[in-house]
Amino acid sequence: MADRTMPSRSPLPNRPMNDGIAMSDDANRLDGVAKVTGSAKYGRDVMPKNGVFVSFIRCPWGHAQARSIDEEAASAVAGVLEVEITGREGRYHGEPIGHIAAESLAALRRARSALNIEWDPEDADTEIGSPEASHDDDPDGADHVLEAVYTTPVQTHSSLETHGTSIDHMGDRAIIYASTQGTFSAREGMDRVLGMPQSRFKVVCEFVGGGFGSKLNGAGKEGLTAGRIAAKYGRPAWLFCDRAEEHLDTGNRPSSRTHVRIGYRDDGTIVGGSVRTWGGVGVAGGGGGVVMPSNRYDLGRIRKQHADVRFNGGGPRAFRAPGHPQGAFAEELMIDEVATATGRDPLELRMKLDREDERRSMYELGARLIGWKRRQPTGTQASVLRRGFGIGSTSWNRFPARADAEVVIHPDASVEVRTGSQDIGTGQRTAMAIVVARQLGVPLDVVHVSIGDSSLPAGPASGGSVTATNTSLAMLEAADNLKETFLERIAAQLGVVAGALKIREGDIMQDDRRMMTWQEACAALGSAVSGRGSRSRRSDRQYSGSGHSMGVQFVDLEVDSETGVIHLNRIVAIQSCGRVICRKTAESQIIGGVIQGLSFALFEDKLLDRNTGAMVNPNLEFYRIAGPADMPKIEPVLWEGNQTGIRPLGEPPTIPTAGAIACAVFNAVGSPVRDLPLRPDRVLDAIEGGRS
Amino acid sequence: MPQIQLTLNGSPATVDYEPHHRLLDTLRYGLALTGTKEGCGEGECGACTVLIDGRPANSCLVPTYQARGCDVRTVESIPAETLRPLLESGATQCGACTPGVVVTSAWVRSNPELIETHTLRQLMAGNLCRCTGYDGIIDGVQQGLDMDAESRGAKP
Repeated sequence: MADRTMPSRSPLPNRPMNDGIAMSDDANRLDGVAKVTGSAKYGRDVMPKNGVFVSFIRCPWGHAQARSIDEEAASAVAGVLEVEITGREGRYHGEPIGHIAAESLAALRRARSALNIEWDPEDADTEIGSPEASHDDDPDGADHVLEAVYTTPVQTHSSLETHGTSIDHMGDRAIIYASTQGTFSAREGMDRVLGMPQSRFKVVCEFVGGGFGSKLNGAGKEGLTAGRIAAKYGRPAWLFCDRAEEHLDTGNRPSSRTHVRIGYRDDGTIVGGSVRTWGGVGVAGGGGGVVMPSNRYDLGRIRKQHADVRFNGGGPRAFRAPGHPQGAFAEELMIDEVATATGRDPLELRMKLDREDERRSMYELGARLIGWKRRQPTGTQASVLRRGFGIGSTSWNRFPARADAEVVIHPDASVEVRTGSQDIGTGQRTAMAIVVARQLGVPLDVVHVSIGDSSLPAGPASGGSVTATNTSLAMLEAADNLKETFLERIAAQLGVVAGALKIREGDIMQDDRRMMTWQEACAALGSAVSGRGSRSRRSDRQYSGSGHSMGVQFVDLEVDSETGVIHLNRIVAIQSCGRVICRKTAESQIIGGVIQGLSFALFEDKLLDRNTGAMVNPNLEFYRIAGPADMPKIEPVLWEGNQTGIRPLGEPPTIPTAGAIACAVFNAVGSPVRDLPLRPDRVLDAIEGGRS
Repeated sequence: MPQIQLTLNGSPATVDYEPHHRLLDTLRYGLALTGTKEGCGEGECGACTVLIDGRPANSCLVPTYQARGCDVRTVESIPAETLRPLLESGATQCGACTPGVVVTSAWVRSNPELIETHTLRQLMAGNLCRCTGYDGIIDGVQQGLDMDAESRGAKP
């Protein structure tokens, strides 16, 4: 019904610059109808009848020992099935020390308060602090040395759908409705807790409410705990985090500290030096890497050292381009500081330092689009409102991953695209339909996608921008194989040789004559025909999947020098990703990457209380993410330059934004703000410092 | 179980509810209207937005009892054909915030005079989205307003 009023394709009136670049210029998101009408079912929406609700018991302090826990009182609460304490020490705010299972969410809440836990808080470390950088010799050949420390805070992923799993346990089999970025990795360990072989259960995640890296952790503690309870009671089980738990214990982008001591010449040439970085990894053993230098610029010989610093906080998880935005922030601002110190235009200096010719062309376009000519030299404005312009650059490599695919033509003339990979909002579903429709030669309307189900052909977990890049190669091969079989069967019916037939807009053509319509041909099949593909070395060659993505971003903003408030005017984001599959979802990925970078630059900060180690802002009011009114006009530009292969798009647009904004603020106020987020008080300090 | 009477998605309804249930719980868990999402549970993100007597409200902040006698509309009652602009403009990515966005946009569109005193970005500011960057959302609401103005025969 809805399909008739909701078109699968409609042209976009805006952004003429991007017209005609993508395989599909006008396809709407395939699952857009289900999403705007509210019919899309997410894991959290699946509440099987007779289900058991589960939640963790968590430490409320940065570091504490539970002296007394009234398990008996909690167990006695009506509707409570079990209370299990697995440890007494909490090493960070939000660390689970056990769980409760109950008949309802209300019983869970009552039981949690009946536990009446008395905690003995202990000293908690809450930040990286100021580790000493060992003394380095001045770099050879330098006229000057820049020594500076750049820091970034802990950023939480803040997906709108929280982490969790709903398990429909049906005795000898089960369906795991997981909010996950890995349909297949979410099975890991589940066989053990369910006491079932993997052949008896499957993971379903048709719709996932965001992840950004935080849902790459297999079944996760949420899934495994729900699985254990489901198996124990032989009933469905449901465990989803609330917003506070989501901030506290489902991963984050680790904080960073970057100490640079770098030499440069009078002409702005950077001759090398040392970069020492620290990553704040909470109680985790690692994962705090800072990608600085990025290798995009020629910075001479850099000696790099990194150390992870542990403190009493939840551990990091991959977060959209792990390590990159924090590194790019330091690198871009450092380059602008050198440019300003040597009296050079930051654009001109980047043209000189950048290692990629293609990115130079991007700088030229970006400068034109943002109006770089209007930029005034850094530190020359004395008005209340000060205009600033900044630049950042990005790159991302294409990583190989295993992917299988299947395409089926059904006798009712529908084409089914089958991939077990997941669409976490990226547009994977839509992209795969477009790739197959194009390769087969059929209209997009006949293509349906089965996705997010571990009984479908295996696909990679969505991390590192590998999903579309790899699955599409398998899809192309599957479509080619299917087309061959299909045309052989049709040719036999028509009494012609298969090689003479083509499919054009669904019609079966011989030379320029229509032999059969799509419907007639499919009906003539009698049964479904399928083709399979697999991403392999061979398919990589055949369908040219190499190459990396790159881009530049330009920022235009205003700083109120009396309040320190930053107002973004425009951001131009030029991005290459090889052959663009779907224009609308690609533009959306770019804008979405920019807003996460912007939000990181201006607002986000997981704050741990210095005395108690507790997070003081575990919500979406005081842990602020950018809202509609914070956003400038963002102009995504799909770069045509290197249109070969299907290249990564998820991570690269979020890398340069914070750095570009910091550079623009520096340009406006005349002194760099070296700590994110760029809070008004820090901006005012920079202005004051610049005056003194 | 106690009951309240209300108008739900255009029809009179008698609804059983747990006394401690928020309207959000009653909708999602009692009535299986899972289009309404829970994003934060404390009125910050707007994912659970419903219309109560024509005005947007965070259903996570409304005790079910408080909705007695009210006209409650959820995303499920918004006519699909009016949502076409949001689909076309790319107002959705992961979709978890989308139902709230849709409901707020329906409120804006049924009160077009609001844009004389507020910007669309201000009107939509109660709905947080982590994926789209809001451009598609704002474009979609604007196109919806244009479409409505056109069908009323007025100049947009």
